[in-house]
Amino acid sequence: MRTPENPRDMRDALVGVGRAVRLVLLIALALLFLIPFYLLVRNGLSSEADITSPGWTFFPSELHWSNIRELFDDPNVPMAHALLNSSLIAVLTTVGTLLLASLAGYGLARIPYAYADVVFYWILGTLMVPAAVTFVPSFVLVSSLGWVSTLRGLVVPTLFSAVAAFIFRQYFLGFPRELEDAARVDGLGYWRTYWRVVVPNSRPVFAAVGTIVFIGAWNSFLWPLVIGQDRDAWTVQVALSTFTTAQTVNIHELFVAAAVSIVPLLVVFLVLQRYIVAGVERTGIDD
Amino acid sequence: MRGPFIRRLLGPQNRHLWFWIFVGPFVLGLTLFTYVPLAWSAYLSFFDAHNTVSPTDFVGFDNYTAMLGDDAFTDSLVTFLVFTAFIVPATYVLSLGLALMVNRLRWAQAFFRSVFFLPVACSYVVAALIWKISIFNGVRFGLANTVLGWFGADQTAWLSSTDPPWYWLVIVTVRLWLQAGFYMVLFLAGLQRISPRLYEAAAVDGARPGWQVFRHITFPQLRATSVAVVLLLVINAFQAFDEFYNLLSDSRGYPPYARPPLVYLYYTALGQEQNLGLGSAGAVILALIIAVVTVVQARWFGLGRKED
Amino acid sequence: MSMSRRRLLGAGGGLALTGALASACGSNTGRGGDDHAGQPVIEQWYHQYGEPGTEQAVRRYADAFEQANVRVQWRPGNYDQQTAAALLTDSGPDVFEASGPTLDQIQGGQVVDLTELLSEAKDDFNQAVLEQKTYQGKVWGIPQVIDTQLLYYRKSLLEDAGLEPPRTLDALIDAAKKLTTKEVKGLFLGNDGGPGVLAGTPLNAAGLSLVTEDGKVGFDDPAAARTLGKLHQLYAEKSLLLGAPSDWSDPAAFTQGLTAMQWSGLWALPQVQKALGDDFGVLPFPQDGPDGKPAVPVGAYGAAVSAKTKHKAEAKAYVKWLWVDRTEYQEDFALRYGFHIPARISLARKAAKLRSGAAGEAARYATDYGHVSEPLLWTAASKTDYQDALSRIIKGGANPDRELRSVIRKAEAELRRVKKKS
Repeated sequence: MRTPENPRDMRDALVGVGRAVRLVLLIALALLFLIPFYLLVRNGLSSEADITSPGWTFFPSELHWSNIRELFDDPNVPMAHALLNSSLIAVLTTVGTLLLASLAGYGLARIPYAYADVVFYWILGTLMVPAAVTFVPSFVLVSSLGWVSTLRGLVVPTLFSAVAAFIFRQYFLGFPRELEDAARVDGLGYWRTYWRVVVPNSRPVFAAVGTIVFIGAWNSFLWPLVIGQDRDAWTVQVALSTFTTAQTVNIHELFVAAAVSIVPLLVVFLVLQRYIVAGVERTGIDD
Repeated sequence: MRGPFIRRLLGPQNRHLWFWIFVGPFVLGLTLFTYVPLAWSAYLSFFDAHNTVSPTDFVGFDNYTAMLGDDAFTDSLVTFLVFTAFIVPATYVLSLGLALMVNRLRWAQAFFRSVFFLPVACSYVVAALIWKISIFNGVRFGLANTVLGWFGADQTAWLSSTDPPWYWLVIVTVRLWLQAGFYMVLFLAGLQRISPRLYEAAAVDGARPGWQVFRHITFPQLRATSVAVVLLLVINAFQAFDEFYNLLSDSRGYPPYARPPLVYLYYTALGQEQNLGLGSAGAVILALIIAVVTVVQARWFGLGRKED
Repeated sequence: MSMSRRRLLGAGGGLALTGALASACGSNTGRGGDDHAGQPVIEQWYHQYGEPGTEQAVRRYADAFEQANVRVQWRPGNYDQQTAAALLTDSGPDVFEASGPTLDQIQGGQVVDLTELLSEAKDDFNQAVLEQKTYQGKVWGIPQVIDTQLLYYRKSLLEDAGLEPPRTLDALIDAAKKLTTKEVKGLFLGNDGGPGVLAGTPLNAAGLSLVTEDGKVGFDDPAAARTLGKLHQLYAEKSLLLGAPSDWSDPAAFTQGLTAMQWSGLWALPQVQKALGDDFGVLPFPQDGPDGKPAVPVGAYGAAVSAKTKHKAEAKAYVKWLWVDRTEYQEDFALRYGFHIPARISLARKAAKLRSGAAGEAARYATDYGHVSEPLLWTAASKTDYQDALSRIIKGGANPDRELRSVIRKAEAELRRVKKKS
């Protein structure tokens, strides 16, 4: 927002002071927000004695890069395998959710059907149901399908995100009809219109929703913990929890593991950030 | 050779068919993985279901009366209301404030936006771990105690002190840190959509930059965003579980304070107690409360009207 | 429609791939298992032990079993919760260790009667822990090792303060206060202030118990409120260490010098010894009141067989083989890695490690003053209620009399409930 030209010096000065205060506040907040990341790195690269020493050291005098190797060599925690599992699960969940939710969103927004509203509320109704409420029956259901410790069990039940379908529906409601009409004139049906016209013109939304789904899949904890029973099916979050629940806590290894667990996500995040911002503007998530 | 019935079923130009091709797979999965367990829970709530999901001992509404007469459960509902009443406005104000400040930056805007947005990528497991073990631990090498120690203050056991209840500080800051950036981005998007002409007009009318402009132009223009943010915040508050569980539980259970309903039910139904009937009754009560709040909220914001 | 068909095929291919990955992921157990080809597969679960080497050891035992292909799962996280959930399904473990099995699991028919496995070895098991796995004369879990908890104290710190090792609860409270400085706290009872780990121990120290032998509430007595009320003093005087990075089960707070005394498990002894040498001693929970006696909680993880197992005979044979017949494995498991007392009396007697020094004292305390930490009739609902009340007494300064009244009511209801089922 631009302040208009104003003849009075007094106000200019005030605005200047205000701007300075704002900047100081912003920098202070930014530093506060960065502290946890700093602690991850500091603790992760310290020795146990450094962390627990009475005096605070801002940074370890000696960086223990070997902590990282130690983590990946730890026979009790298959960290490399867990990273692989998490990546696979996150990618499959993201692709699956985008496909299912966008199709549903498009159908609800664009294909006239007498009972579309009923279906919409059927979907919306699950939005507020906390997963922990139905957790036990879900678990029983999935295990009766024989899906415990399988990739199917970890991925499929999480694919049906009412939030994602809702966002897509809202977005497609605002999608310019002219584009679809042109496709219709060319003789394309719903299916081909969707894939040839709608999807290519909606990339930012897919990127935005996809990133959010990806983060959720990477970070989810409870479900992988009970479904991924075999050690070979552990995700990063489950591997991480082994450090906190063990009889003895090894702080530096715990923090190295935590840092390693968020690195892939931070990379994805920083790269895709502008899509999220652009996507939010167009999803109608806030309309 | 399609009969009229089939033709009606398929709809004009097979529209009904196409509708179900698009929407069907999603609805089918949602029904199987959300509604079936939900119905199962409701069924269990009328049985004495200790350690079983196929109970035979029908008890009517006994589980419901037991749950509603349980002080621990009603306390948890209060806990949860207090938490929601605080976290929703606090996150709203912080994220809007961040958005307003970041939006006006002429340089390093992307940098600041990234800094505030980055925590969104962190999991509750990781965040809770940093908070519990490194920032707010109760001993001399915790960050908070170190900083306070420089000013001569005594060590505080942040998560274990009940008087004053410092644990709320820990719980609330974790959530603010994790969430504020996401809502900031929503607000930033909203701010960018406000036409500069409105501000120009306001300036011509003599509105002072700052509070007046915010009150009369920016805030009203953000109404749609605000509604969405509040809705999402309330949904997220309802689901509060992860940070409570990761911060306060230990191998022996959970303390009798700062215990939201989901955590309490989790221990009742899934803990060693394995009282699935009682836990399900609590879940149904909670779901009903959530439904009522949702409907009220939707009315309040005028949602649910047909948008198209 | 060529376009859409390709899309469909693409999607179908994707699904097929998912299936392939899923089955690959699911069946990959990381074991060759050639010598077990064609044999029934038995899933065995352990909770995650903190001591290095334990996991490799149990896998070694499992591999040595000839009649079945035993797959060991090492489970992190909240173990009791996971087994409870898994027992509801067909994909749970066949054999699992349990701090119970709980009374509800036994009554619900979720575990198999193992009485016949013991046969003549029955008398060689520690009777207190075997009793806790026995319901109506039948044994539902074979005790693996005995775990016990103790009070660790720093000799040098007590000497510096001119204190004797505390033998009464009052002396403990006094010592904790005198040992507390700006940097070091007097006593660590866990980050929750004690209710979780102490449970019924203070009651036993007052000469009472959680549940009496004839199945009644064991603390309907003014002495209970008096003893529990004293614990609040520890909190009020700020003598308790709270909010340490690791909990009571980890001796780190003690070895790092954050506290002068700590309540922890016997398993922590080797680590304490390594860090502090001779500068520590162990004590039982000190007695309180005229009828009091020192208290040492003992408990045992027991091996249980799930009722849903498809290979009941093999699963039982395996449990008998490992936890009854193969005493050399039992000895190795109890004494090589962490520090536990063997559940077999004969093994405990010949264990050299348990004869001298602090370990010897600990073993003696467990024999002389041991009480079962979680009696079978003490259900999880009673436990939660009691623990909540104890937390309010210790940290909130709540009236112990009134708090215990309501716990007694709840516990009596629970006792009635489980008796009705039998």
